[in-house]
Amino acid sequence: MTDAGRHERDDGTPYAPHTPAETAAMLDAVGVDSEAELFDVPSEVRFEDDLGIDARGERELRAELSSMLARNDDLTEFLGRDHHTHYVPSVVDDLSQRAEFLTSYTQYQPEITQGFLQALFEYQSLIAELTGLPVANCSMYDAASGLGEAARLAGRVRSVSGTRVLVPEVLHENKRAVLRNYVDGTDLTVATYPMTDGTVDVDALSGLADEETALVYAENPTVRGTIEEGLSEVGAIADEAGALFCLGTDTVALGLLEEPASVGADVVVGEADALGLPTAYGMGLGLFATRESFLRQVPGRLVGAAEDEGGKRTYTLTLQTREQHIRKERATSNICTNQAWVALRTAMHLAWLGPDGLADLANQCVREAAALADRLDGLRGVAAPVHDRHHFREFQIRTDQPARAIAGDLESDGFAVHVVDDHRLQVCVTDVNAARTDALVDAFEEAI
Amino acid sequence: MFETPDDRKYQDSHEYATTGGDPVRVGISDFAQDELGDVVFVELPEAGDEVSQGEGFGVVESIKAVSDLYAPVSGTVAEVNDALFDQPELVNDSPYDEGWMLKVDGVDDADFEGLLSAEEYSEQTE
Repeated sequence: MTDAGRHERDDGTPYAPHTPAETAAMLDAVGVDSEAELFDVPSEVRFEDDLGIDARGERELRAELSSMLARNDDLTEFLGRDHHTHYVPSVVDDLSQRAEFLTSYTQYQPEITQGFLQALFEYQSLIAELTGLPVANCSMYDAASGLGEAARLAGRVRSVSGTRVLVPEVLHENKRAVLRNYVDGTDLTVATYPMTDGTVDVDALSGLADEETALVYAENPTVRGTIEEGLSEVGAIADEAGALFCLGTDTVALGLLEEPASVGADVVVGEADALGLPTAYGMGLGLFATRESFLRQVPGRLVGAAEDEGGKRTYTLTLQTREQHIRKERATSNICTNQAWVALRTAMHLAWLGPDGLADLANQCVREAAALADRLDGLRGVAAPVHDRHHFREFQIRTDQPARAIAGDLESDGFAVHVVDDHRLQVCVTDVNAARTDALVDAFEEAI
Repeated sequence: MFETPDDRKYQDSHEYATTGGDPVRVGISDFAQDELGDVVFVELPEAGDEVSQGEGFGVVESIKAVSDLYAPVSGTVAEVNDALFDQPELVNDSPYDEGWMLKVDGVDDADFEGLLSAEEYSEQTE
Protein backbone atom coordinates (compact mmCIF):
# COMPACT_ATOMS: atom_id res chain seq x y z
CA MET A 1 0.00 0.00 0.00
CA THR A 2 1.27 3.48 -0.81
CA ASP A 3 1.50 6.29 1.69
CA ALA A 4 -1.09 8.12 -0.36
CA GLY A 5 -3.45 5.17 0.07
CA ARG A 6 -2.88 5.10 3.79
CA HIS A 7 -3.85 8.76 4.13
CA GLU A 8 -6.99 8.29 2.12
CA ARG A 9 -8.43 5.85 4.61
CA ASP A 10 -11.20 7.92 6.07
CA ASP A 11 -14.11 5.53 6.28
CA GLY A 12 -13.66 4.60 9.95
CA THR A 13 -12.59 1.00 9.27
CA PRO A 14 -8.97 0.78 10.35
CA TYR A 15 -8.84 -2.99 9.85
CA ALA A 16 -10.19 -2.98 6.28
CA PRO A 17 -7.43 -3.75 3.80
CA HIS A 18 -8.57 -1.38 1.07
CA THR A 19 -9.37 2.28 0.91
CA PRO A 20 -12.53 3.39 -0.91
CA ALA A 21 -10.30 4.74 -3.70
CA GLU A 22 -8.55 1.41 -4.10
CA THR A 23 -11.84 -0.46 -4.11
CA ALA A 24 -13.23 1.91 -6.77
CA ALA A 25 -10.13 1.42 -8.93
CA MET A 26 -10.46 -2.37 -8.74
CA LEU A 27 -14.20 -2.31 -9.51
CA ASP A 28 -13.48 -0.07 -12.47
CA ALA A 29 -10.76 -2.44 -13.70
CA VAL A 30 -13.13 -5.42 -13.77
CA GLY A 31 -16.00 -3.36 -15.10
CA VAL A 32 -18.65 -3.55 -12.38
CA ASP A 33 -20.32 -0.78 -10.42
CA SER A 34 -20.37 -2.25 -6.93
CA GLU A 35 -18.91 -5.02 -4.79
CA ALA A 36 -22.37 -6.59 -4.48
CA GLU A 37 -22.27 -7.39 -8.20
CA LEU A 38 -19.28 -9.67 -7.57
CA PHE A 39 -21.29 -12.03 -5.39
CA ASP A 40 -24.31 -14.14 -6.18
CA VAL A 41 -25.90 -14.55 -2.76
CA PRO A 42 -29.51 -15.78 -2.84
CA SER A 43 -31.87 -13.28 -1.27
CA GLU A 44 -33.34 -15.84 1.15
CA VAL A 45 -30.02 -16.21 2.98
CA ARG A 46 -29.20 -12.51 3.02
CA PHE A 47 -29.58 -10.64 6.29
CA GLU A 48 -31.16 -7.34 5.46
CA ASP A 49 -32.05 -6.09 8.94
CA ASP A 50 -30.14 -3.77 11.18
CA LEU A 51 -27.51 -5.66 13.23
CA GLY A 52 -28.39 -3.56 16.29
CA ILE A 53 -24.80 -2.70 17.11
CA ASP A 54 -24.42 0.94 18.07
CA ALA A 55 -21.11 2.59 17.51
CA ARG A 56 -19.52 3.87 20.68
CA GLY A 57 -16.15 5.00 21.90
CA GLU A 58 -13.56 2.74 23.52
CA ARG A 59 -14.00 4.31 26.96
CA GLU A 60 -17.80 3.84 26.94
CA LEU A 61 -17.41 0.29 25.69
CA ARG A 62 -14.92 -0.61 28.41
CA ALA A 63 -17.21 0.84 31.09
CA GLU A 64 -20.15 -1.16 29.78
CA LEU A 65 -18.18 -4.41 29.67
CA SER A 66 -16.74 -3.83 33.15
CA SER A 67 -20.16 -3.36 34.66
CA MET A 68 -21.39 -6.47 32.83
CA LEU A 69 -18.49 -8.53 34.20
CA ALA A 70 -19.03 -7.13 37.70
CA ARG A 71 -22.39 -8.91 37.79
CA ASN A 72 -20.51 -12.24 38.00
CA ASP A 73 -20.32 -13.76 41.47
CA ASP A 74 -16.81 -13.80 42.87
CA LEU A 75 -16.67 -17.43 43.99
CA THR A 76 -13.75 -19.56 45.10
CA GLU A 77 -14.06 -22.59 42.88
CA PHE A 78 -13.68 -26.13 44.12
CA LEU A 79 -14.84 -27.38 40.73
CA GLY A 80 -12.95 -29.94 38.67
CA ARG A 81 -14.30 -32.86 36.66
CA ASP A 82 -11.78 -32.77 33.79
CA HIS A 83 -10.99 -29.08 34.03
CA HIS A 84 -8.32 -28.27 36.55
CA THR A 85 -6.79 -25.00 37.52
CA HIS A 86 -3.21 -24.72 38.71
CA TYR A 87 -1.31 -21.54 39.34
CA VAL A 88 0.28 -20.34 36.10
CA PRO A 89 3.51 -18.46 36.85
CA SER A 90 3.80 -15.03 35.26
CA VAL A 91 6.81 -16.12 33.23
CA VAL A 92 4.34 -18.07 31.05
CA ASP A 93 2.27 -14.94 30.30
CA ASP A 94 5.35 -12.87 29.80
CA LEU A 95 7.05 -15.17 27.33
CA SER A 96 4.00 -16.52 25.50
CA GLN A 97 2.70 -12.99 24.89
CA ARG A 98 5.78 -11.97 22.97
CA ALA A 99 4.48 -10.83 19.59
CA GLU A 100 6.56 -13.44 17.73
CA PHE A 101 4.51 -16.14 19.44
CA LEU A 102 1.18 -14.42 19.98
CA THR A 103 0.66 -13.25 16.40
CA SER A 104 2.17 -16.27 14.68
CA TYR A 105 -0.01 -18.24 12.33
CA THR A 106 0.23 -21.95 11.38
CA GLN A 107 3.83 -22.97 10.90
CA TYR A 108 3.57 -24.00 7.26
CA GLN A 109 6.75 -22.19 6.23
CA PRO A 110 9.65 -23.66 8.17
CA GLU A 111 12.05 -21.09 6.74
CA ILE A 112 10.38 -18.32 8.74
CA THR A 113 8.97 -20.19 11.76
CA GLN A 114 11.89 -22.01 13.34
CA GLY A 115 11.25 -20.54 16.79
CA PHE A 116 7.67 -21.69 17.10
CA LEU A 117 8.39 -25.03 15.45
CA GLN A 118 11.15 -25.65 17.96
CA ALA A 119 8.79 -24.76 20.83
CA LEU A 120 6.18 -27.22 19.51
CA PHE A 121 8.85 -29.90 19.09
CA GLU A 122 9.78 -29.30 22.74
CA TYR A 123 6.11 -29.66 23.71
CA GLN A 124 5.91 -32.99 21.83
CA SER A 125 9.15 -34.14 23.47
CA LEU A 126 7.82 -33.29 26.95
CA ILE A 127 4.61 -35.21 26.31
CA ALA A 128 6.60 -38.17 24.93
CA GLU A 129 8.79 -38.17 28.02
CA LEU A 130 5.83 -37.98 30.41
CA THR A 131 3.81 -40.70 28.70
CA GLY A 132 6.72 -42.97 27.76
CA LEU A 133 5.29 -43.16 24.24
CA PRO A 134 7.62 -42.03 21.46
CA VAL A 135 5.17 -40.16 19.22
CA ALA A 136 3.20 -37.12 20.39
CA ASN A 137 1.40 -34.72 18.07
CA CYS A 138 1.47 -30.99 18.67
CA SER A 139 -2.04 -31.07 20.20
CA MET A 140 -5.73 -31.66 19.65
CA TYR A 141 -8.57 -29.34 20.69
CA ASP A 142 -9.18 -31.09 23.99
CA ALA A 143 -9.29 -34.49 25.72
CA ALA A 144 -12.68 -35.38 24.24
CA SER A 145 -11.60 -34.88 20.61
CA GLY A 146 -8.42 -36.81 21.46
CA LEU A 147 -10.56 -39.73 22.63
CA GLY A 148 -12.63 -39.58 19.44
CA GLU A 149 -9.45 -39.65 17.38
CA ALA A 150 -8.04 -42.55 19.42
CA ALA A 151 -11.16 -44.57 18.60
CA ARG A 152 -10.81 -43.79 14.90
CA LEU A 153 -7.12 -44.64 15.02
CA ALA A 154 -8.01 -48.05 16.47
CA GLY A 155 -10.48 -48.45 13.61
CA ARG A 156 -7.73 -47.81 11.04
CA VAL A 157 -4.97 -49.93 12.52
CA ARG A 158 -4.71 -53.17 10.55
CA SER A 159 -3.83 -55.34 13.54
CA VAL A 160 -7.21 -54.48 15.11
CA SER A 161 -10.19 -56.27 13.65
CA GLY A 162 -12.85 -55.40 16.26
CA THR A 163 -15.15 -52.39 16.03
CA ARG A 164 -16.40 -51.86 19.59
CA VAL A 165 -15.06 -49.09 21.78
CA LEU A 166 -15.37 -49.87 25.49
CA VAL A 167 -15.60 -46.86 27.78
CA PRO A 168 -16.00 -46.71 31.55
CA GLU A 169 -19.38 -46.27 33.21
CA VAL A 170 -17.97 -43.25 35.02
CA LEU A 171 -17.09 -40.87 32.22
CA HIS A 172 -17.73 -37.17 31.69
CA GLU A 173 -20.93 -36.96 29.68
CA ASN A 174 -19.38 -34.45 27.26
CA LYS A 175 -16.60 -36.91 26.42
CA ARG A 176 -19.12 -39.63 25.73
CA ALA A 177 -21.06 -37.27 23.46
CA VAL A 178 -17.98 -36.18 21.52
CA LEU A 179 -16.86 -39.80 21.13
CA ARG A 180 -20.29 -40.75 19.74
CA ASN A 181 -20.02 -37.88 17.31
CA TYR A 182 -16.57 -39.00 16.14
CA VAL A 183 -17.58 -42.62 15.50
CA ASP A 184 -20.76 -41.64 13.70
CA GLY A 185 -20.42 -42.78 10.09
CA THR A 186 -17.74 -45.38 10.85
CA ASP A 187 -18.09 -49.09 11.67
CA LEU A 188 -17.27 -48.32 15.30
CA THR A 189 -19.77 -48.60 18.14
CA VAL A 190 -19.50 -47.47 21.75
CA ALA A 191 -20.30 -49.69 24.74
CA THR A 192 -19.89 -49.19 28.47
CA TYR A 193 -18.13 -51.37 31.03
CA PRO A 194 -18.89 -51.16 34.76
CA MET A 195 -16.79 -49.72 37.56
CA THR A 196 -16.59 -50.83 41.13
CA ASP A 197 -16.18 -48.32 43.94
CA GLY A 198 -15.02 -45.65 41.50
CA THR A 199 -12.41 -47.57 39.53
CA VAL A 200 -12.39 -50.10 36.67
CA ASP A 201 -14.18 -53.37 37.45
CA VAL A 202 -11.38 -55.50 36.02
CA ASP A 203 -13.30 -58.79 36.15
CA ALA A 204 -16.32 -57.32 34.38
CA LEU A 205 -14.10 -55.68 31.78
CA SER A 206 -12.32 -58.97 31.21
CA GLY A 207 -15.68 -60.59 30.46
CA LEU A 208 -16.69 -57.86 28.02
CA ALA A 209 -13.49 -57.44 26.03
CA ASP A 210 -13.39 -59.87 23.11
CA GLU A 211 -12.37 -60.05 19.45
CA GLU A 212 -15.13 -57.54 18.64
CA THR A 213 -13.33 -54.94 20.73
CA ALA A 214 -11.27 -52.27 18.99
CA LEU A 215 -10.37 -50.02 21.91
CA VAL A 216 -10.53 -50.11 25.69
CA TYR A 217 -10.54 -46.67 27.28
CA ALA A 218 -9.75 -45.96 30.94
CA GLU A 219 -8.82 -42.82 32.86
CA ASN A 220 -6.31 -42.08 35.56
CA PRO A 221 -7.38 -40.21 37.56
CA THR A 222 -11.06 -40.81 36.81
CA VAL A 223 -13.55 -37.99 36.53
CA ARG A 224 -14.33 -38.64 40.20
CA GLY A 225 -10.69 -38.17 41.13
CA THR A 226 -10.04 -41.81 42.00
CA ILE A 227 -6.62 -43.24 41.15
CA GLU A 228 -6.59 -46.51 39.20
CA GLU A 229 -4.31 -49.18 40.59
CA GLY A 230 -5.00 -52.01 38.15
CA LEU A 231 -4.07 -50.39 34.86
CA SER A 232 -1.56 -53.08 33.89
CA GLU A 233 -4.44 -55.55 34.04
CA VAL A 234 -6.56 -53.28 31.85
CA GLY A 235 -3.70 -53.11 29.35
CA ALA A 236 -3.34 -56.89 29.37
CA ILE A 237 -7.09 -57.38 28.86
CA ALA A 238 -7.06 -55.08 25.84
CA ASP A 239 -3.98 -56.78 24.45
CA GLU A 240 -5.46 -60.22 24.82
CA ALA A 241 -8.61 -59.13 23.01
CA GLY A 242 -6.52 -57.80 20.11
CA ALA A 243 -7.67 -54.28 20.96
CA LEU A 244 -5.78 -51.09 21.72
CA PHE A 245 -5.65 -49.57 25.19
CA CYS A 246 -6.24 -45.83 25.39
CA LEU A 247 -5.50 -44.07 28.66
CA GLY A 248 -6.93 -40.65 29.55
CA THR A 249 -4.92 -38.50 31.95
CA ASP A 250 -3.49 -34.99 32.30
CA THR A 251 -0.12 -33.29 32.41
CA VAL A 252 0.03 -32.96 36.21
CA ALA A 253 -1.11 -36.52 36.93
CA LEU A 254 1.59 -37.75 34.55
CA GLY A 255 4.14 -36.32 36.96
CA LEU A 256 3.24 -38.84 39.64
CA LEU A 257 0.94 -41.66 38.52
CA GLU A 258 2.07 -44.80 36.67
CA GLU A 259 3.71 -44.09 33.32
CA PRO A 260 1.18 -44.93 30.59
CA ALA A 261 3.66 -46.88 28.43
CA SER A 262 4.59 -49.09 31.37
CA VAL A 263 0.97 -50.21 31.84
CA GLY A 264 0.60 -51.05 28.17
CA ALA A 265 -1.14 -47.91 26.88
CA ASP A 266 -1.15 -47.73 23.08
CA VAL A 267 -2.62 -44.23 22.97
CA VAL A 268 -2.66 -41.52 25.63
CA VAL A 269 -5.13 -38.65 25.49
CA GLY A 270 -6.15 -36.03 28.01
CA GLU A 271 -6.20 -32.41 29.03
CA ALA A 272 -2.72 -30.99 28.71
CA ASP A 273 -4.03 -27.58 29.74
CA ALA A 274 -3.93 -28.46 33.43
CA LEU A 275 -0.64 -26.61 33.03
CA GLY A 276 -0.18 -23.36 31.14
CA LEU A 277 -3.78 -22.19 31.00
CA PRO A 278 -5.71 -20.45 33.74
CA THR A 279 -9.42 -21.32 34.05
CA ALA A 280 -10.59 -20.87 30.49
CA TYR A 281 -14.21 -22.09 30.65
CA GLY A 282 -14.07 -24.20 27.55
CA MET A 283 -10.77 -23.80 25.75
CA GLY A 284 -8.63 -26.89 26.14
CA LEU A 285 -5.47 -28.53 24.91
CA GLY A 286 -5.74 -32.17 23.96
CA LEU A 287 -2.63 -34.26 24.40
CA PHE A 288 -2.23 -37.17 22.03
CA ALA A 289 0.62 -39.68 22.15
CA THR A 290 1.02 -43.15 20.72
CA ARG A 291 3.40 -45.93 19.69
CA GLU A 292 5.79 -45.54 16.78
CA SER A 293 4.03 -48.30 14.82
CA PHE A 294 0.95 -46.05 14.60
CA LEU A 295 2.94 -43.02 13.44
CA ARG A 296 1.12 -42.77 10.11
CA GLN A 297 -2.26 -43.10 11.81
CA VAL A 298 -1.75 -40.10 14.08
CA PRO A 299 -4.27 -37.29 13.62
CA GLY A 300 -3.21 -33.67 13.43
CA ARG A 301 0.09 -31.91 13.19
CA LEU A 302 3.52 -33.35 13.86
CA VAL A 303 6.68 -31.30 14.09
CA GLY A 304 9.85 -33.14 13.16
CA ALA A 305 13.52 -32.36 13.61
CA ALA A 306 15.71 -32.34 10.53
CA GLU A 307 18.98 -30.88 9.26
CA ASP A 308 19.38 -28.01 6.85
CA GLU A 309 21.93 -27.82 4.01
CA GLY A 310 24.62 -26.68 6.39
CA GLY A 311 24.02 -29.58 8.77
CA LYS A 312 22.27 -27.42 11.40
CA ARG A 313 19.34 -28.82 13.37
CA THR A 314 16.08 -27.47 12.02
CA TYR A 315 12.36 -28.13 12.49
CA THR A 316 9.45 -28.60 10.13
CA LEU A 317 5.88 -29.88 9.99
CA THR A 318 6.28 -33.48 8.92
CA LEU A 319 4.28 -36.44 7.59
CA GLN A 320 1.76 -33.97 6.21
CA THR A 321 0.65 -36.52 3.62
CA ARG A 322 -1.66 -37.89 6.35
CA GLU A 323 -3.42 -34.58 6.55
CA GLN A 324 -6.49 -33.19 4.89
CA HIS A 325 -4.81 -30.41 2.90
CA ILE A 326 -2.91 -33.12 0.99
CA ARG A 327 -4.85 -36.35 1.32
CA LYS A 328 -8.34 -34.84 1.10
CA GLU A 329 -11.16 -37.25 2.03
CA ARG A 330 -8.69 -40.09 2.77
CA ALA A 331 -6.90 -38.09 5.47
CA THR A 332 -6.38 -39.70 8.87
CA SER A 333 -8.46 -36.98 10.49
CA ASN A 334 -10.49 -33.87 9.73
CA ILE A 335 -8.45 -31.85 12.20
CA CYS A 336 -6.40 -29.33 10.21
CA THR A 337 -5.13 -27.28 13.08
CA ASN A 338 -3.78 -27.46 16.58
CA GLN A 339 -3.72 -25.40 19.75
CA ALA A 340 -0.24 -24.11 19.01
CA TRP A 341 -0.20 -21.17 21.38
CA VAL A 342 -1.75 -23.14 24.26
CA ALA A 343 0.74 -25.97 23.67
CA LEU A 344 3.51 -23.39 23.82
CA ARG A 345 2.23 -22.19 27.21
CA THR A 346 1.95 -25.73 28.54
CA ALA A 347 5.52 -26.47 27.41
CA MET A 348 6.71 -23.29 29.14
CA HIS A 349 4.92 -24.15 32.36
CA LEU A 350 6.30 -27.71 32.31
CA ALA A 351 9.81 -26.49 31.64
CA TRP A 352 9.48 -23.92 34.44
CA LEU A 353 8.40 -26.59 36.93
CA GLY A 354 11.00 -29.13 35.87
CA PRO A 355 10.75 -32.80 36.88
CA ASP A 356 10.93 -32.12 40.64
CA GLY A 357 8.53 -29.20 40.54
CA LEU A 358 6.01 -31.27 38.58
CA ALA A 359 6.28 -34.17 41.03
CA ASP A 360 5.86 -31.75 43.98
CA LEU A 361 2.75 -30.25 42.41
CA ALA A 362 1.30 -33.70 41.69
CA ASN A 363 2.04 -34.87 45.24
CA GLN A 364 0.27 -31.80 46.55
CA CYS A 365 -2.82 -32.85 44.55
CA VAL A 366 -2.92 -36.16 46.42
CA ARG A 367 -2.06 -34.69 49.84
CA GLU A 368 -4.52 -31.80 49.77
CA ALA A 369 -7.36 -34.00 48.55
CA ALA A 370 -6.73 -36.56 51.32
CA ALA A 371 -6.47 -33.85 54.00
CA LEU A 372 -9.65 -32.08 52.92
CA ALA A 373 -11.58 -35.36 52.67
CA ASP A 374 -10.40 -36.28 56.15
CA ARG A 375 -11.62 -32.99 57.65
CA LEU A 376 -15.00 -33.14 55.89
CA ASP A 377 -15.39 -36.74 56.98
CA GLY A 378 -15.14 -35.51 60.58
CA LEU A 379 -18.32 -33.42 60.18
CA ARG A 380 -21.59 -34.89 61.39
CA GLY A 381 -23.70 -36.34 58.56
CA VAL A 382 -20.84 -36.17 56.06
CA ALA A 383 -18.77 -39.04 54.62
CA ALA A 384 -15.71 -38.42 52.47
CA PRO A 385 -14.33 -39.75 50.27
CA VAL A 386 -17.26 -41.76 48.98
CA HIS A 387 -14.92 -44.22 47.27
CA ASP A 388 -12.42 -46.15 49.30
CA ARG A 389 -9.59 -45.24 46.94
CA HIS A 390 -6.63 -42.91 46.68
CA HIS A 391 -7.61 -39.64 45.07
CA PHE A 392 -5.98 -37.06 42.86
CA ARG A 393 -7.20 -33.46 43.31
CA GLU A 394 -10.85 -34.37 43.74
CA PHE A 395 -13.21 -36.70 45.52
CA GLN A 396 -16.89 -37.19 46.17
CA ILE A 397 -18.70 -36.48 49.45
CA ARG A 398 -21.87 -38.17 50.72
CA THR A 399 -24.18 -35.93 52.73
CA ASP A 400 -27.18 -36.87 54.88
CA GLN A 401 -28.77 -33.55 54.05
CA PRO A 402 -29.76 -32.64 50.48
CA ALA A 403 -26.61 -31.92 48.49
CA ARG A 404 -28.19 -29.14 46.46
CA ALA A 405 -29.14 -27.20 49.57
CA ILE A 406 -25.63 -27.49 50.96
CA ALA A 407 -24.15 -26.35 47.64
CA GLY A 408 -26.56 -23.39 47.69
CA ASP A 409 -25.46 -22.37 51.19
CA LEU A 410 -21.81 -22.73 50.20
CA GLU A 411 -22.41 -20.52 47.19
CA SER A 412 -23.87 -17.84 49.43
CA ASP A 413 -20.66 -18.06 51.41
CA GLY A 414 -18.56 -17.67 48.26
CA PHE A 415 -17.73 -21.27 47.32
CA ALA A 416 -18.61 -23.24 44.20
CA VAL A 417 -18.79 -27.05 44.47
CA HIS A 418 -20.19 -29.66 42.10
CA VAL A 419 -23.52 -31.36 42.84
CA VAL A 420 -23.42 -35.01 41.70
CA ASP A 421 -26.88 -36.13 42.86
CA ASP A 422 -29.33 -35.68 45.76
CA HIS A 423 -26.82 -36.67 48.42
CA ARG A 424 -23.43 -36.38 46.75
CA LEU A 425 -21.10 -33.48 46.10
CA GLN A 426 -17.70 -33.39 44.43
CA VAL A 427 -14.86 -31.02 45.28
CA CYS A 428 -11.50 -30.42 43.66
CA VAL A 429 -8.51 -28.98 45.48
CA THR A 430 -5.28 -27.78 43.89
CA ASP A 431 -2.50 -25.32 44.71
CA VAL A 432 -4.86 -22.51 43.63
CA ASN A 433 -7.63 -23.02 46.22
CA ALA A 434 -5.73 -25.02 48.87
CA ALA A 435 -5.39 -21.93 51.07
CA ARG A 436 -9.19 -21.63 51.25
CA THR A 437 -9.90 -25.15 52.51
CA ASP A 438 -10.17 -23.97 56.15
CA ALA A 439 -12.84 -21.50 55.14
CA LEU A 440 -14.60 -24.14 53.02
CA VAL A 441 -14.72 -26.60 55.94
CA ASP A 442 -16.11 -23.86 58.22
CA ALA A 443 -18.78 -22.95 55.67
CA PHE A 444 -19.58 -26.63 55.19
CA GLU A 445 -20.05 -27.10 58.92
CA GLU A 446 -22.45 -24.18 59.04
CA ALA A 447 -24.36 -25.44 56.00
CA ILE A 448 -25.20 -28.86 57.46
CA MET B 1 9.97 -43.21 -22.28
CA PHE B 2 9.02 -45.49 -19.46
CA GLU B 3 9.70 -49.18 -19.31
CA THR B 4 6.62 -51.34 -19.83
CA PRO B 5 7.64 -55.02 -19.94
CA ASP B 6 5.24 -57.35 -21.77
CA ASP B 7 5.38 -60.27 -19.32
CA ARG B 8 2.59 -58.64 -17.37
CA LYS B 9 -0.66 -56.69 -17.76
CA TYR B 10 -1.62 -53.29 -16.40
CA GLN B 11 -4.52 -51.54 -14.78
CA ASP B 12 -5.68 -47.95 -15.51
CA SER B 13 -4.72 -47.06 -11.96
CA HIS B 14 -1.10 -48.09 -12.79
CA GLU B 15 -0.72 -51.40 -10.97
CA TYR B 16 0.64 -54.41 -12.86
CA ALA B 17 0.07 -58.18 -12.53
CA THR B 18 2.50 -60.73 -14.01
CA THR B 19 1.01 -63.24 -16.48
CA GLY B 20 3.17 -66.35 -15.96
CA GLY B 21 0.69 -68.13 -13.64
CA ASP B 22 0.63 -68.36 -9.83
CA PRO B 23 1.97 -66.70 -7.88
CA VAL B 24 1.06 -63.47 -9.67
CA ARG B 25 3.35 -60.60 -8.76
CA VAL B 26 1.70 -57.23 -8.19
CA GLY B 27 3.34 -53.82 -8.11
CA ILE B 28 3.17 -50.38 -9.69
CA SER B 29 4.46 -49.32 -13.09
CA ASP B 30 7.58 -47.36 -13.96
CA PHE B 31 5.31 -44.50 -15.05
CA ALA B 32 3.52 -44.55 -11.68
CA GLN B 33 6.70 -44.49 -9.60
CA ASP B 34 7.97 -41.57 -11.68
CA GLU B 35 4.72 -39.63 -11.17
CA LEU B 36 4.79 -40.24 -7.43
CA GLY B 37 8.37 -39.16 -6.88
CA ASP B 38 10.46 -40.53 -4.02
CA VAL B 39 8.49 -43.24 -2.24
CA VAL B 40 8.96 -43.04 1.54
CA PHE B 41 6.46 -45.56 2.87
CA VAL B 42 4.41 -48.51 1.66
CA GLU B 43 1.52 -50.06 3.56
CA LEU B 44 0.60 -53.58 2.45
CA PRO B 45 -1.75 -56.36 3.58
CA GLU B 46 -0.46 -59.48 5.32
CA ALA B 47 0.15 -62.91 3.85
CA GLY B 48 -3.13 -64.83 3.96
CA ASP B 49 -5.30 -61.75 3.34
CA GLU B 50 -7.66 -61.72 0.38
CA VAL B 51 -7.45 -59.04 -2.29
CA SER B 52 -10.18 -58.23 -4.81
CA GLN B 53 -9.74 -56.82 -8.26
CA GLY B 54 -10.34 -53.07 -8.28
CA GLU B 55 -10.38 -52.85 -4.47
CA GLY B 56 -7.76 -51.08 -2.40
CA PHE B 57 -5.04 -53.32 -0.94
CA GLY B 58 -2.59 -50.80 0.44
CA VAL B 59 -1.13 -47.33 0.34
CA VAL B 60 1.99 -45.87 -1.20
CA GLU B 61 3.32 -42.63 0.23
CA SER B 62 5.78 -40.37 -1.56
CA ILE B 63 7.22 -37.04 -0.51
CA LYS B 64 4.35 -35.30 -2.26
CA ALA B 65 1.32 -37.57 -2.05
CA VAL B 66 -0.32 -40.61 -0.55
CA SER B 67 -2.04 -42.90 -3.06
CA ASP B 68 -4.21 -45.93 -2.64
CA LEU B 69 -3.16 -49.13 -4.35
CA TYR B 70 -5.85 -51.10 -6.17
CA ALA B 71 -5.55 -54.81 -6.75
CA PRO B 72 -5.33 -55.67 -10.49
CA VAL B 73 -6.44 -59.27 -9.75
CA SER B 74 -8.34 -61.17 -7.05
CA GLY B 75 -6.76 -63.86 -4.91
CA THR B 76 -4.96 -64.72 -1.70
CA VAL B 77 -1.80 -62.91 -0.69
CA ALA B 78 0.96 -65.56 -0.63
CA GLU B 79 3.80 -63.20 0.21
CA VAL B 80 4.43 -59.53 0.85
CA ASN B 81 7.67 -57.81 -0.13
CA ASP B 82 8.97 -57.08 3.38
CA ALA B 83 12.04 -55.38 1.94
CA LEU B 84 9.86 -52.38 1.08
CA PHE B 85 9.25 -51.58 4.75
CA ASP B 86 12.94 -50.76 5.21
CA GLN B 87 13.70 -49.74 1.64
CA PRO B 88 10.59 -48.17 0.11
CA GLU B 89 12.89 -46.60 -2.50
CA LEU B 90 13.01 -50.00 -4.24
CA VAL B 91 9.64 -49.03 -5.72
CA ASN B 92 11.41 -46.18 -7.53
CA ASP B 93 14.66 -47.98 -8.33
CA SER B 94 13.22 -51.26 -9.56
CA PRO B 95 9.40 -51.17 -9.88
CA TYR B 96 9.17 -54.40 -11.89
CA ASP B 97 11.75 -56.48 -10.08
CA GLU B 98 12.95 -55.75 -6.54
CA GLY B 99 10.11 -53.26 -5.98
CA TRP B 100 7.29 -55.79 -6.36
CA MET B 101 4.62 -55.59 -3.63
CA LEU B 102 2.54 -58.76 -3.44
CA LYS B 103 2.59 -62.35 -4.67
CA VAL B 104 -1.01 -63.49 -5.14
CA ASP B 105 -2.22 -67.07 -5.44
CA GLY B 106 -5.46 -68.49 -6.78
CA VAL B 107 -5.85 -65.91 -9.55
CA ASP B 108 -8.51 -66.60 -12.17
CA ASP B 109 -7.28 -66.17 -15.78
CA ALA B 110 -10.44 -64.18 -16.46
CA ASP B 111 -9.11 -61.41 -14.21
CA PHE B 112 -6.52 -60.60 -16.89
CA GLU B 113 -9.09 -60.01 -19.61
CA GLY B 114 -10.03 -56.59 -18.36
CA LEU B 115 -6.42 -55.45 -17.95
CA LEU B 116 -4.33 -53.54 -20.48
CA SER B 117 -1.53 -55.11 -22.49
CA ALA B 118 1.94 -53.55 -22.27
CA GLU B 119 1.33 -51.89 -25.62
CA GLU B 120 -2.08 -50.49 -24.65
CA TYR B 121 -0.75 -49.26 -21.33
CA SER B 122 2.27 -47.51 -22.82
CA GLU B 123 0.03 -45.76 -25.35
CA GLN B 124 -2.02 -44.50 -22.43
CA THR B 125 0.96 -43.15 -20.53
CA GLU B 126 2.79 -41.56 -23.43
